[in-house]
Amino acid sequence: MRKANSYTLYWMGITFLLFPVLAILGIYMRTVQAGGLAGSLTWFYPMMTLHGVGMVGVWYVAAMACAADILSRYTEPSPAVRGLALFGTLVGVLILLVSAFLGKFAAGWYFLYPLPFKGEWPVWSAVAFLLSLTILGATWLLWSLDLLRAIAVKYSITHALGWHYLAGRSEPEIPPSIMIITVSLIAGVAALVAGVIVLVLFYLELFTGAPSDALLMKNFTFFFGHTIVNLAMYLGVAAAYEVLPQYAGRPWKSNRIVAISWNTVLLIVLFAYFHHLYMDFVQPGTLQYIGQIASYASAIPAAVVTIFGALLLVYRARMRWNLASLLFFLGLIGWAIGGMGAVIDSTISANVRLHNTLWVPAHFHTYMLAGLVFLVFAYFYHCSQEAAAEPERPGLQKLVSFLMVAGAYGFFLMFYLSGAYSVPRRFAIYPAELAHGGTFSAIAAVFATVFLIGFFIYLSETGRRWYKALQTAS
Amino acid sequence: MSQLESRLIDRTVPDIPLQLSDGRRLHLSDLWREHPLLVTFFYRRCTGICTPFLEGVRDATRRSGGLGSDYRVLALSFDDADSAEDVRAQAAALGLLGSPDWDFAVTDREALGRITGALDFWYRYDPARRQIEHNAMIVGIDGGRVVRALVAGGGEGGRMRELVWELRGSFIPIYAVPGQTPLSCFTFDAATGETRLDWGMLLLTLPALAALIAALGVFYLGGRLRRVRPEIDTAKAWITSHH
Repeated sequence: MRKANSYTLYWMGITFLLFPVLAILGIYMRTVQAGGLAGSLTWFYPMMTLHGVGMVGVWYVAAMACAADILSRYTEPSPAVRGLALFGTLVGVLILLVSAFLGKFAAGWYFLYPLPFKGEWPVWSAVAFLLSLTILGATWLLWSLDLLRAIAVKYSITHALGWHYLAGRSEPEIPPSIMIITVSLIAGVAALVAGVIVLVLFYLELFTGAPSDALLMKNFTFFFGHTIVNLAMYLGVAAAYEVLPQYAGRPWKSNRIVAISWNTVLLIVLFAYFHHLYMDFVQPGTLQYIGQIASYASAIPAAVVTIFGALLLVYRARMRWNLASLLFFLGLIGWAIGGMGAVIDSTISANVRLHNTLWVPAHFHTYMLAGLVFLVFAYFYHCSQEAAAEPERPGLQKLVSFLMVAGAYGFFLMFYLSGAYSVPRRFAIYPAELAHGGTFSAIAAVFATVFLIGFFIYLSETGRRWYKALQTAS
Repeated sequence: MSQLESRLIDRTVPDIPLQLSDGRRLHLSDLWREHPLLVTFFYRRCTGICTPFLEGVRDATRRSGGLGSDYRVLALSFDDADSAEDVRAQAAALGLLGSPDWDFAVTDREALGRITGALDFWYRYDPARRQIEHNAMIVGIDGGRVVRALVAGGGEGGRMRELVWELRGSFIPIYAVPGQTPLSCFTFDAATGETRLDWGMLLLTLPALAALIAALGVFYLGGRLRRVRPEIDTAKAWITSHH
């Protein structure tokens, strides 16, 4: 039995509160696309914006909370900064809600320049949206730097990044989670600085009227957005490296291959976002090719090494399957499947066909929902159960896993089929020629509801333990 | 590119009748059918920018290359009082009389209204000065549609060369917004036709540099703290034992 950290439990509470609300917004959007709730059509784009920004933000902070909790097993992240991160996130989310619900801000989660200044929403809602991102970005930047500080107090940079493994030495032994978190935090600082720059350029135009270069703004926006999403995924994977061995009864150690793969990520991940600009003919072809190569190089080594390692860990092990180990394993599978989708999407010849179709939401929903969300849910359950030590109900836990997997993959399948049948993304309603898009949407809404039912049963299982853990939290 | 210039792109140009300086009568389409056409406006009695502007266009087209082989120039009078003789005199004043690559022309009032309306070319007679107030414009036309327009001061080198590049069939991916965007990713060099990196692209390296500096700084300070930590722990232990 290990006492849970109170901040980790607070983050869990926030995630459990916000995730279902944002998921319901997703179901609302698919229902509108299916032709239902026609009277609420004007809310489609504000809710699309909130759903996108909200989901990315929630799962980034949830993954950061997992990383902070893992680090607290080895070193000492500052409680004050953890508190500040929590407070700043709450304030940012509150302003975001005001911007979406009162101001109907609807520029999408990319908020691509110059759309925030050109929409039908009031200027104050665009300002509120930017202010919300500023608070969130500044808070998370500080949080990232503190976690890096906590690592630096115990490990040198060469050890934290596993460079001694590259040199053929195996001592000192560095947990792979430390290596992955270090890589993710360094790249995360770059992404957050890119976010700060794009916000400064927005404010510059807002207060001085000096317009920005649209291509530069798009580059910065995806430097920030793509990288943050990628790193959230890696932090979730770090949790699997840390916890899954406990259920397998075998160690999952760092070695030269693991060090090579994650250092490759650090070198390459910052260039992968170029694949978001394939449609921008102004971007020189060289950068487009770099985008494709970097997308492959940043995803494949780490994923292959991790998946291969996870399979070896589980193969013929005396696995203790419960909700945590099941979801960790399923999360890694989801990462692999969604990752394949992402690699296909980052291939220029495929992207020119698929870019503006629902195939793109298909792949990022796959690795976010079936990858990151499952990994974080697994860690959250593991932490709660570790502290609460409640008797487990294997049947119910398998049912939860089944409902979430069936709901999620059914939901993704409708996106993939829509993409294959050329249904465009970002359409609130479909014209007669694309009526099949409405049918796919209706089926997707049903599958998403199945997932949510699974989630609520998960919540009842984990929530009970969470509440008990809160009573004894450190 | 200004808002006026961007809204003109791909606009249909009316096929108006023309009388050339040599007295021939034809339609505008007869000119654009053979080659893309660069159209500019002037009037003979202008004491303001018309002649200097036409000189600027003449010099810029000479510098940019492709005149005659890739495109031709039409200077159209927007004063319905001008005659073929007037515009011939203007051509002579510019040293372009008899040039195979330039046409000077007049048209009737109705046709003038149609083409200036279609191209948003603004002009107004000022009886006090007995002059026509107007802006300066160059329009590239290919197949009866506007490829690109330059309004007010388009005769200067860079933008004029860009327009000529487009008339010659080259795709120009980047339009600068003069004096408005301090940081662009790329610029198009109209002299060579090459795209070059600009300062904005350099700015894109800033996040990675910031992350590198932050990481090195944090780990450097962490290392120093690790080195002094045993001494701090010893001091703490000494204080505790002496209490």
